[in-house]
Amino acid sequence: MLQRDARIPFTDIAKLCNVSTDTIIRSFDKMKKKGIVSGTTISLNLKKLGYEYVASFLVDVNFPYINDGIKFIREIPEIVWCVPTIGRYNLFTIAVFKDFSRLSEVRDLIKSHPHVISVGTNIWVGEVLLCPENFEFGSKK
Amino acid sequence: MDEIDLAIVESLKKDARTSFREIARKLGVSTDTISNRYRKMRKDGVIQGSTVVVNPEKIGYNSVIVLMIDAEPEYSSAIQNKLIQMVDVILVTKTIGDCDLMAICVVRDYEHIYDLTLKVAEVPHVKDVQVCFCLGDIRIRPEYFII
Repeated sequence: MLQRDARIPFTDIAKLCNVSTDTIIRSFDKMKKKGIVSGTTISLNLKKLGYEYVASFLVDVNFPYINDGIKFIREIPEIVWCVPTIGRYNLFTIAVFKDFSRLSEVRDLIKSHPHVISVGTNIWVGEVLLCPENFEFGSKK
Repeated sequence: MDEIDLAIVESLKKDARTSFREIARKLGVSTDTISNRYRKMRKDGVIQGSTVVVNPEKIGYNSVIVLMIDAEPEYSSAIQNKLIQMVDVILVTKTIGDCDLMAICVVRDYEHIYDLTLKVAEVPHVKDVQVCFCLGDIRIRPEYFII
């Protein structure tokens, strides 16, 4: 229920589950304590906040310098996610931009790092379909 | 959007369950102001919803993969709609660049990666699927991934 609407009152959840509100509060606190749930947040339409572009950069860095590359990229304010990967590239990043020229600047900035070999760019277009609640709880095998 | 709207967004980004009364107290405005502003931002689609931030590792998922998909262009929207309905696929977007579509998925193990990739590859009009296996921080950040 909280995955679909994190602001739903605990009293409503309790009524729907036919348990006391205290039980729901205790369960939620337990999940937070165990780290299953790290918090709650809102999902935003970044376009309405002025961010017109989202892009993924697929970066090939000289392998021994991968941590340098990550540190350098994460310091760029527009980068919202940067993780090492195994595959065609060794870094995957997602960034949000207010205008196209900044997107191009950031791409060039990443390319300018002495240990970056290449940067692949994918600009996200159209509606992004997001389903953060698409987890299968209890999937632990 | 003005400073009060942005302050509401920032506050709810950190904790979506923060009460309007608490935000109002911090900003020195009335609870009604916060409530009205929130309702307006929901209505205008600035705030699309709220959710819990789940740590995938704690519920049995050990990694995130990015699938880069080549598809027949006229079917990319249909493929996008099909993929987002698959369990464990948490984001799908059309892209311009190295691939036509990109999907971010949570996975349990190598077998799961294989099964999920195969399932995606079998969607009609998908031509090729490349897998990028993400290491390290796999926390999902829903506040960033919607545009």
